[in-house]
Amino acid sequence: MAKTLYWIQGGGCGGDTWSLFNADTPDLTELFDFLGLELLWHQSLSARSPDDLDTLNADILQGRQPLDILCLEGSVIHGPKGSGKFDMLPGGPKKDLIRALADRARYVLAVGTCASFGGIGADSDTMASGLQFTKWAMGGLLGQGFISTGGYPVINMPGCPCHCEVVVGTLSAIAADMPVELGHYNTPVNWYSMMVHQGCTRNEYHEYRIEEKKFGERGCLFFYMGCHGPLVPGPCNKVLWNRRSSKTRVGVPCFGCTRPDFPQQYPFFETRNIEGIPIELPDGVSRAHYMAYKGMAAAAAPKRLIQRKTGI
Amino acid sequence: MGKIRKIIPMNRVEGDLEIQLDIQDGVVREAASIGTMYRGIENLMRGRSPMDSLVITPRICGICTTAHLSAAAKALDMACNAKVPDNGQRLRNITLMVEQLQNDIRHTFLLFMPDLIDSRYTNRPLYAEAFNRYQVLRGDTALQTVKETKKLLEIIAILGGQWPHSSFMVPGGVVSVPMASDIIHCRNILRNFRKWYEERILGGPLNDWRQIRSWNDLQAWLLQSPAHRDSDLGFFVRYGLDLGLDTLGGGHDTFISYGGPDLPGGSQAIPVEGNHLNSAAAVFTRGGVVPLDPDKISEDITCSYFQDEQPVRHPFQGQTIPCDADPDSGKYSWAKAPRYDGQPAETGALADMLVAGQPLFVEQVNAAGANVLIRELARLVRPINLLLAIDRWLAEMTECKSPFFEEYTKAVTARSYGLVPAPRGALGHWVTIENGVIANYQVITPTAWNASPKDGRGIRGPWEEAMVGTEIRNPDHPIEIEQIVRSFDPCLVCTVHAVKRI
Repeated sequence: MAKTLYWIQGGGCGGDTWSLFNADTPDLTELFDFLGLELLWHQSLSARSPDDLDTLNADILQGRQPLDILCLEGSVIHGPKGSGKFDMLPGGPKKDLIRALADRARYVLAVGTCASFGGIGADSDTMASGLQFTKWAMGGLLGQGFISTGGYPVINMPGCPCHCEVVVGTLSAIAADMPVELGHYNTPVNWYSMMVHQGCTRNEYHEYRIEEKKFGERGCLFFYMGCHGPLVPGPCNKVLWNRRSSKTRVGVPCFGCTRPDFPQQYPFFETRNIEGIPIELPDGVSRAHYMAYKGMAAAAAPKRLIQRKTGI
Repeated sequence: MGKIRKIIPMNRVEGDLEIQLDIQDGVVREAASIGTMYRGIENLMRGRSPMDSLVITPRICGICTTAHLSAAAKALDMACNAKVPDNGQRLRNITLMVEQLQNDIRHTFLLFMPDLIDSRYTNRPLYAEAFNRYQVLRGDTALQTVKETKKLLEIIAILGGQWPHSSFMVPGGVVSVPMASDIIHCRNILRNFRKWYEERILGGPLNDWRQIRSWNDLQAWLLQSPAHRDSDLGFFVRYGLDLGLDTLGGGHDTFISYGGPDLPGGSQAIPVEGNHLNSAAAVFTRGGVVPLDPDKISEDITCSYFQDEQPVRHPFQGQTIPCDADPDSGKYSWAKAPRYDGQPAETGALADMLVAGQPLFVEQVNAAGANVLIRELARLVRPINLLLAIDRWLAEMTECKSPFFEEYTKAVTARSYGLVPAPRGALGHWVTIENGVIANYQVITPTAWNASPKDGRGIRGPWEEAMVGTEIRNPDHPIEIEQIVRSFDPCLVCTVHAVKRI
């Protein structure tokens, strides 16, 4: 029997849906048939008449309609003062519907950083949270102990937006009844066990500490431009965006959008440092070793790199 | 039939929307456009580094993300007195217009057209063909739209890293320095898209469309060849007339457009009469076109869930303080009411065509005002202007030795703004910088103009006005309302969903 999927949007920009439009094999028009999924509802993709949405919701909540996969895009809005009135449906706050649907779903997926951790609205007066986290802290809308009826906590797929391949891959695994192995912050290890830095075409600059100090100069963006590539997990430079490139490849620093504190409270486009060495070092590296390595690396830098004769 | 009041929740990407209608004797007597979600992005900008606007404001909207980036960068250019070198300007314009191009096509075929295959129309002669073309996720044109627009967006990834949500524009230009091979790749992708657009959507070469200067020309063009008649544009005109879309959704007929993007020096004007990319920001009424004065833009919060002892403010003085108003307060929306010189104004592709003096659209609006059909038609042909311009800028970028970025001095104190032609129309960011951090940030989106609630004088917003007077055949399924609101290209999808409430 086809598994059913319900996609609901909370406080968000729709970017995760538009990101999903980038999917390739299968593309968005093929995805549901390909995986044998029945799309119960998505506000821009489902053919179901919206007049039937109330009926559908009632059927799910009363157990007449099985719900296999619930995807939330966007944050859960709690403001003002926990009332949820900043995001209302005709029947009440949207957060109440999200919770009720999550209680019925076999798998609950947080698509994007807002749904995972609160994201853009977490520090605003909207009091946004993720489904099972508020920034670094477990809890969120559903609470620390939440386990869906399929035996999983909320499966977090952060990124702003979430890369289409993460969504398609995770849905493919669930559709095929394959296990989804989760790592830190309950993210699927298949896409979040690597750093954004891995696969960046500027890696050679990083190796020899050839750092970009002004835009367009070409170099590694880690020491001065605020790049989070070596600090945060994500598949950007493995799977690439729109099949072509990534932010770091063209000279945009990684903003760490998969991390629970995105958007960070200190300035973007600059690196916090102690005597020229970044405060936050690549994940797991000791400062003493790193400083020694970087000193030697800079001394060993080849001229073609220093003179920017290498195309990237 | 007596008087009924209906609440119609409409979903879209940039926050949610409901429409409240008072219907008497089958005619809409009053309409209220209710923004039901507050995201508080303006307030979380306060105290941040000005550069943070380049990261956070694109996240306002997942399909206008490059437009927000562009408005934020332009506001910072002004704040820092930064000069954008020609190639930096070209790269900004190319990416901004590629985003607009994909939006025009996606909106039309994925979001608007499905309204035309509503079960109400099954007895219309062209229904079966419309169904084959536009069925959600299955129609011919719908499938092709998903595939072709996806490929087109690769241009933004090559030049700017990714779509959606990159931050490659910075004050003084852009961060990326494409190699000649990258630009060639972009030109090839564009050529591919143009071929599809000409063959499938337009039914002929872009330049042929330049001959169409009036409704009579359009009718003659339809009869000229089967390729014209059977193109998606030709089909839409024929089917739209049959459904009476040309008599639906007239508004105030005041239009605001921020014109084209800043043109790089040494770039030639785009060679199409009435090309909006050549025009300056302006306001169009049937009395004529007047240049835009940014000081005349204001927002009114009388009917919005915000508190302020002064209900009308220029965005530089604007503040965003949410309030928990009771239902009798007259406040009904989380959207503010933007006004130009005290008047509501419609924005979007049609506004672009009108301020640019495109003869067909000027003729139509001067004769009978705007309507659903003419709004969509403007969106369907706007890509002609965009395709010609993007290709020219790409070619110039390879030939020109200009840099992509020029250094500037950071602003400690400034008040500046960026007005940008976004896919849905006029987008503005206004920023105040004090002590090197953001003291105030205000955004007026195109959808805010169109979805505006009433103001302190009770004047309706553009699509509220467009709904009033509409005959509703079936109040339980008011497809007319769906078509009217969608013709303004509200963010993502509007799902008309009627719920009875007293």
